[in-house]
Amino acid sequence: MSRDTQDGPGAGSEVDGQATDGNLPGGTNVEGEAPIVEETVETEEATITDDAELERTLGLTGGLAIGIGTMIGAGIFVFPGLAAGEAGPAAAGSFAIGAVVALLVALPTSELATAMPKSGGGYYFISRGLGTLAGTVVGLSLWFGLVFATAFYLVGFGYYAVDTLAEIGVTVGSGLVIPIALLFGAGFTVLNVTGTENAAKLQNGVVALLLSILTVFLLYGSLDALGVVGTASAPERFMPFGPVSVLTTAALVFTSYLGFAQVATVAGEMKQPGRNLPLAMVGSVVIVGVLYVVTVFVATSAFESARLAELGETAMVDVGRHYLGGAGALAIVFGGLLATMSSANASILSTSRAIYAVSRDALLPRGASRINLKYGTPHVALGLAGGPVLVLVATGEVEVLAEVASFLHLILYGLMCVALLMLRRDEPEWYDPDFRVPGYPVVPILGALSSFALIGFMQRISQVIGLAVMLASAAWYFYYARDVSLRGAL
Amino acid sequence: MTRVLVSLAILEGDTVSPGLIDLLGTVDVTVLGYHVLPEQTPPDQARLQYEDRANEALDDVTEEFATAGGAAERRLVFTHDREKSIQRVAEETGADAFAVTGATGPVERLLVPVIGDVAVDRITAFVTELVGDRDIEVTLFFASDDEGETEQTALDDGAAALREAGIAVETEHVTGAPFDSLVDAAPGHDAVVMGEAAPSLRSFLFGDEAERVASETVGPVLVVRRNEEEDEEEDEEGEAVASDPAAESDPDTESDSTAE
Repeated sequence: MSRDTQDGPGAGSEVDGQATDGNLPGGTNVEGEAPIVEETVETEEATITDDAELERTLGLTGGLAIGIGTMIGAGIFVFPGLAAGEAGPAAAGSFAIGAVVALLVALPTSELATAMPKSGGGYYFISRGLGTLAGTVVGLSLWFGLVFATAFYLVGFGYYAVDTLAEIGVTVGSGLVIPIALLFGAGFTVLNVTGTENAAKLQNGVVALLLSILTVFLLYGSLDALGVVGTASAPERFMPFGPVSVLTTAALVFTSYLGFAQVATVAGEMKQPGRNLPLAMVGSVVIVGVLYVVTVFVATSAFESARLAELGETAMVDVGRHYLGGAGALAIVFGGLLATMSSANASILSTSRAIYAVSRDALLPRGASRINLKYGTPHVALGLAGGPVLVLVATGEVEVLAEVASFLHLILYGLMCVALLMLRRDEPEWYDPDFRVPGYPVVPILGALSSFALIGFMQRISQVIGLAVMLASAAWYFYYARDVSLRGAL
Repeated sequence: MTRVLVSLAILEGDTVSPGLIDLLGTVDVTVLGYHVLPEQTPPDQARLQYEDRANEALDDVTEEFATAGGAAERRLVFTHDREKSIQRVAEETGADAFAVTGATGPVERLLVPVIGDVAVDRITAFVTELVGDRDIEVTLFFASDDEGETEQTALDDGAAALREAGIAVETEHVTGAPFDSLVDAAPGHDAVVMGEAAPSLRSFLFGDEAERVASETVGPVLVVRRNEEEDEEEDEEGEAVASDPAAESDPDTESDSTAE
C-alpha cells in the first residue's frame, strides 16, 4: 500500500499519536473497558487509521450551516423580547458583549481544533490538554449543556408553532407550547434514529433561506428605524435598567452563541480542517453577532422595551408586523419555526457526537456508542440526547434552560482557553496546529476570564443547577473512570 | 501498470462476479470497500463497530483478484459521500478506470462504445492492456443521431490501433439515440468498456451514465477515467467538429451531440 504518499495536495498532514513517547492512554473503567485511541494520519480529505480511512465530507458551507443553523434560532427568534425586557435598547450591547466573548473563545477553539481535528470537539481538547478529571467533567457537562440547549430551542419552537397557528387563524393559546415542543422533540429524536437520507443539504438550504429572509427584513427595518423610510422612531432611554442589566442580559443571551463549538464536534468530518474549521467557527460567530445586534436595534426601535417584554418569546412576530404588515409577521413566524427547528435538530446531533466521544474514551459504557444495524445510526446516543431533553422541555422554564446551557458551555469555553495555554506553555511534539491564535497569550487569557466572569452574572438558580451537573460529573469520574488516563493521549 | 478501481458496498454484501475477476487478471486492482453512513453517525464510530468485519470480507475479495493474476490491494473507507471517496481513492491510487460490478461469466466479447469525454486513444490503450494476449473480441461502437464523419474516422483509427495490438475488432456505427442503441447492442457482449462522462444535468437526474448502462445491460462496466489534459484536447476537438461543414446545425445541438 502506498499510504505514505497519499497525503494529497495538502502539505498540512501530520502524524498524530505519539504512542512511542509513552503517551498511551492508560487504565480501564469500572467495567474494564479501556479508551480506544489509535495512531492516525490526518490528511486534508480523510483520516487514515491502521486499517481504514474516514472520509472528510463537510465543506466550509456545511460547517457554517452547522454553526449558524445552531445559533440563529435562539438569538433572533427567541431572545429579543426577553432581552429588551431586561436591559432595554442596550440589549443590543448585551448581544455585542456576547459576540466578543464568543470570538475570544472561538479563536483559541479554532487553534485546538486544527491541532486535533477529531470528533468530540471541546471535550477532546480538554481531556488531552488537562487530563481525565477535567475531561470527564467537561464531556458530561457538554452532554447536559447540549441537552439544556436543545430543550430551550424546542420550547422556543413550541411558542412559534402556537403563533403560526394563530397567524393562520387557529387560536390555541399558550397551553399547547409545551405539548408541541415535547411532540417535536420526540419526533426529531426518532427521525434521527430512523432517517437515513442526508439532511445536510436541507440544513444548508434552511440556513440560506433564513439568512435571506433576515437580511431583507433587517435592512428594511434598519432603514425605517433610522428614518430613511417613514419617520424615525423616537428612542427611549438607552439603558433604562442600568449597566449591570446589560451584563446579566449578556449572560442570558449567551445561549445564542453556543453553536460555534458544535462545529468543533464535527471536526473529524471537515475537509481541509486547517482552513475550514477556523473560518467556519469565527465566520459563524461574526455573521450571527452582526445579525443579533441589528435585530435588537430594529426590535427596540419598533416598540418600547416594556412592550417587547410583554410580547415575550415571539416578540419578533409583532416587530415583523410593525414594519411589513401581515407579510412581515408571516415571514418571521415561518423563519422562527425553521430556525428553532434547525437549532434543536443540530443540537441533538451534536449531543450524540459528544456522547460518542466520551464513551470511546471509556468514560461512559461503550454501549452508548453502539450503532444499530438497520439504520446505521447511533440510536443509544441519540436516545441519551433526546430522553433528557423531553424531561427538561416539560419544565418550560425558558430562561433557566438557556442559562444552564450557557453555564455548562462557558465552563467548557473557559477550560478550552486554559487547555490552550497549558499546551502552548510546554508544547508537546504532536502539537502542530495549522491555525495559531492571534494575540497570544492575551486572547486565550481574556477568553477564559470573560467566560468565567459571564457565569457570575447569571441567576442564582442557573448557577446552582450548573454546578450540580458539574459535581455529579466529577462524582461519576471518581466512581467510574478514576483509573483512566487520557492526558496527551492522541 | 494499468490499475482498475473496484468499489464495493462491502457491508451490504456486494460481490464481484468470477467473470470480472478473470477479466481484470491482466491489470492491477484496488479493491475499495466502502460503507456509507447517515450524517448522524460519525465515520469513526462506525469504524469501531464494523472495521474487522469489513476488512475480513475485503480480504477475501482482494485475495481472489490476486489469485487471478495482477497485484491487488485493498482500501476501506467509512464515508458520508460515496462519490467523493471513490474519486479520492481513484486519484490517490492513479487508477485508470473504475469497475461498476455486474454479473457475468467468462468474458469473450467486449462492447466498447466511443462515448463520454475520454479520447478514443485513451480507451483503446486501456482495452489493449486489459485484453493482453487473451482471446477476447472487441466491438467498437458508436451511435449518433446524425451520420458524423468525424466519428467514423475516430472509430476506424481506434479499430486500427487495436488490430495492431493483435485484437480482433469489429466496428459498428449506428444512427439513433446513443444510450438506447448502446443498450440494444449489449446482448452478445459480456462486459462494457466506456469513457467517463462529464457530470451533466442528466447524470444528476438519472444517475451516472455508466451505472445506467450497467443496470440496463446487467453485466460489468469498466469506466476509463478522464484526466484534465484530455479535457483540453476534447475542447479543441469540439471546436473542430463545430466548424465541420458537414454538420451544420445550430451550435446548441452540435455541442450536445459532441458531449455524448
